[in-house]
Amino acid sequence: MSDYVLLYILFAPFVGVTALIFISNRQLMFVRGVAAVSAGICLLASLYLFFNYDTARGGFQFVQRFEWSRQLGISLYLGVDGIGTPLVLASSILLFAGIFVSWHIKDRTKEFYIWLLILAAATIGVFMSLDLFFLYFFYEMSVIPMYLLLGMWGSHTKKYNEMTDPEGLKQRDSVGFILNFASNSKEYAAMKLVLFLSAFAVVALMGILLIYKYSGLNTFDILVLREQAKLMNIPALGTTLDRIIWVLIFFGFASIAPLWPLHSWSPVGHAAAPAATSMLHAGVLMKLGHFSIIRVAFEILPETTRELMPIAAVLCMFSIIYGGFVAFYAKDTKYVIGYSSSSHMGYVFLGMAALNYIGLSGAVIYMFAHAMATGMLFAMAGWVYDQTHTRDIPSLGGLSNRMPFIAGCFVVACMASIGMPGTVNFIAEIMIIVGSWEKYPVQVIVAVIGIVITLAYLFRMMRGVFYGTMDQKYSHSHDAVAVADRLPLLVMIAVSIGFGLFPMRLYNVVRSGVEPLVARITHVAPIASQERETLDAKREARTGTSKSDLGSSDSDLSRATHHVSRREP
Amino acid sequence: MTFSLTLSPSDLLLLLPEMILTFWICLILVVDFAFPRLPKEQLAYLSIGGLTITLGCLAWFDAAGITGTLFADMFVVDRMALFFKMLIVLATILVIVASVEFVHRFTFFRGEYYFLVAMSALGMMFMASANDLLSVFVTLEFSTFGFYVLVAYLRGEAASNEAGLKFFILGVFAAGLLAYGISLVYGETGKLVFSDMTSAQATPGLIIGYLLIFAALGFKIGAVPFHSWIPDTYHGSPTPITAFLSIAPKGAAFAILLRMFNVALAGFKPTWVLLLVAVSILSMTYGNIVAIAQKNIKRLLAYSGIAQIGNVLIGLAAGTKMGSDAILFYLLTYLFANLGAFSIVIAVSQAIGSDEIEDYSGLGRRSPFLAFAMLIFLLSLAGVPPLAGFIGKIYIFVAAIKEGLYTLITVGLINIVISMYYYLIVVKKMYIIEPHDPSPVSISGPMKAVVYVGLVGTLAIGIYPQPVIDWVVAATLMFSNLAGPAASIPPPVPFGG
Repeated sequence: MSDYVLLYILFAPFVGVTALIFISNRQLMFVRGVAAVSAGICLLASLYLFFNYDTARGGFQFVQRFEWSRQLGISLYLGVDGIGTPLVLASSILLFAGIFVSWHIKDRTKEFYIWLLILAAATIGVFMSLDLFFLYFFYEMSVIPMYLLLGMWGSHTKKYNEMTDPEGLKQRDSVGFILNFASNSKEYAAMKLVLFLSAFAVVALMGILLIYKYSGLNTFDILVLREQAKLMNIPALGTTLDRIIWVLIFFGFASIAPLWPLHSWSPVGHAAAPAATSMLHAGVLMKLGHFSIIRVAFEILPETTRELMPIAAVLCMFSIIYGGFVAFYAKDTKYVIGYSSSSHMGYVFLGMAALNYIGLSGAVIYMFAHAMATGMLFAMAGWVYDQTHTRDIPSLGGLSNRMPFIAGCFVVACMASIGMPGTVNFIAEIMIIVGSWEKYPVQVIVAVIGIVITLAYLFRMMRGVFYGTMDQKYSHSHDAVAVADRLPLLVMIAVSIGFGLFPMRLYNVVRSGVEPLVARITHVAPIASQERETLDAKREARTGTSKSDLGSSDSDLSRATHHVSRREP
Repeated sequence: MTFSLTLSPSDLLLLLPEMILTFWICLILVVDFAFPRLPKEQLAYLSIGGLTITLGCLAWFDAAGITGTLFADMFVVDRMALFFKMLIVLATILVIVASVEFVHRFTFFRGEYYFLVAMSALGMMFMASANDLLSVFVTLEFSTFGFYVLVAYLRGEAASNEAGLKFFILGVFAAGLLAYGISLVYGETGKLVFSDMTSAQATPGLIIGYLLIFAALGFKIGAVPFHSWIPDTYHGSPTPITAFLSIAPKGAAFAILLRMFNVALAGFKPTWVLLLVAVSILSMTYGNIVAIAQKNIKRLLAYSGIAQIGNVLIGLAAGTKMGSDAILFYLLTYLFANLGAFSIVIAVSQAIGSDEIEDYSGLGRRSPFLAFAMLIFLLSLAGVPPLAGFIGKIYIFVAAIKEGLYTLITVGLINIVISMYYYLIVVKKMYIIEPHDPSPVSISGPMKAVVYVGLVGTLAIGIYPQPVIDWVVAATLMFSNLAGPAASIPPPVPFGG
């Protein structure tokens, strides 16, 4: 079991897809059952992975390697470290929850589950790839299912449905839609999402190809490239090439994160998507960006990362504030959550930009925490939409009488999203803020303001949807009563609060991944003074003084532990 | 100049696949005349049988490593020639299977149809083996001859006649260019065989001559600026012939281009790289941008084909062994995806009688199988993992980046995104838009077989390409003395020191 656990996680959804292809759409329960079982296997294997990852040993574990193409230097090389493990877990939790959230989809159920499983499996594939080619392979593979999921099962925005031309017909998308805020059709959203992500994916691909060429190693293996990263300082170009590659990789992957100003596809896509897709989209698809930046840029180009990461620190402020304000003024429940996600992703960039142990750990934990919180929010927005067929906040209200369970969960989800103590989000937020305070005090102040804005728009949405007076036309709406309907929310709440109260396992796993990475980035010699004759000495220093490196990160660690332990009851 | 031909029976063995096919073509014709009552489907299965035997014979040659040259190096059988021959014969088989039903649309000459298709295939097989300029001319004309007739086969339709006329006039014009170019090159070098010309001096006559030859071959593959016949001809031809035109002649022409650029012109690489980069950029960009505006699926695939050829030319511009490998690989993936897509066009047009993209609305509900297969083929053409087209594109880009063709790769990558748009427009029609007429679309047995072959090829090569990569790497071994990637990479700083 233990050796092949990554294969189980990765291929369980694909096996489910293969099985689903041969099942008729008429056997509805069978279709759902197969999807749920394959997601369940995936979840169980992820839990096994999470609790059996050896934190003392660290590094990449459960490694699987299969030669795929000798001539191109590609192998299916899978392995997880402390950064990948929680994200794999988050993906499989959200997939499992997503299967149940979309339990009531009647139209082409089989196809829906096929694309949902492919989407989730592809994101999981990115989190465990140790080969640049396969990282890109799975990354690109996760984009196309989004098109079909949005297009086939998504919904138009309210303004689009209301817009008619003089003859009373529905207006088609035109160029003007790019400027018309929140009045797009689902086709527009789907196409925008795919083209945007593909366009930036090829930017990242260019960076990957440049790494491939200039390493001269004829391999896509991240671990080999990481060890031999020095080879890339070719004399003719000096550090310019490193910078070019870094910028290509960073912005290529940051678009999916989404970093301001590359975010515009994201809220549009969230709003058009069906609930389960929004959950996976906001919960894990967006994290592919951060993860890929960490895996490619941080691992292979550590020195350039240290030099250029302030770019992210500057842009993340705009992400936080801009996303927050738009979310505050948005009238569509999914737009609010979508912009809130893109705002919260700014925190992850802030934590990453700090480039120290606490900040980066906070960023990774935040990715996990945000996946749960935003997954809950989208699941409930989806439920409300299914019951009322509207996402327009002003026309909703008073639904807490009709759906007390959903309203109760919504409060919890809001608390988690804000970062209330007791949820795992709190730990992540405090670590990001503490970690980046020394380097980026301005950004930290912005981030704290961002938390206040989050509080404002989430409470505003909660009041608008669940409290106040209820329109009589919604009096037929139902609460989530069945086990299948309650299960996904309860799972996500349990995970969010469970890790909030007992964070040590998550924390230890993340620490074992972040520690060596931060050591690599922080304690190598500055790139400018990298003459040939000093190379030797430095490499010696790097290996010889690794103990003291660890020592200094230990002090980081004790500070973080201090903060965390204070929160524990 | 005198030829002294000494042909031993073992030499003639090299011609065995062609001889089998020639015999079979005669057989088809004789059977057609001798048994006028015979249902024409039987002729189709007869030709498929002959082509399958030819394919088996080629596969045997390939596996047994039977190679050699004939007729004073005019005709060469190496593994690359065998690869292209197999590609061509496979495409022909699939096209004939896809034609079984379509032939009912022809009011006459249904039997000769199979004869003409097989004859074009024979011409292209010779083309794949052509190793000197004279045989290039003869084989190219031989293969095009059948197409002139086939393109105009729907005699009652104006579009088909227009297509035939356009194709004929421009084809003859290209043949003229080719003949003139050959005469110039022969005048300058006094030689015709590619491998003898490596030491030629770059005189103006030689350059013009090669440019003219390139123009004629560019016409054959449909690269910008020699593409103008493609959209109308593709649109007007009977759809199986469009499918045939979209892959087989291009493969055969690439066999010649590879020999010409990588053998005869290997010494002038810095010069022709610029030419190929320009043609490639123009083809990709023009094909993709114009494809966006198309309303007819055949025209869309025609323009997408122009763009795909631009992609293949990236591999030629790399001018290395790896570039040649990538071309072979790419053409094979293109065969499966493109023939698959065209077979769905045939199936849909048989069911609903239209090739307009608008009429593909709701195909996902009317025929989930056809829509799913079309989705796979279009995504493979767009280059989406885990499909064959993705690996083909990456292979080409890797070959090109090793040669430092950054501009070309940048344009190629941008074009992937552009192409994704119009392929997704078709996907949108099929899956997202509701059908005007919800009646199910049925599909005949032979069409289903072609679609399955396309699906299996596209998925299998995409998921595990190693066997095919090994095959193409072995097929182009004669290019291994070309300047490899090692020469273009600056000496790395030794690790550790």
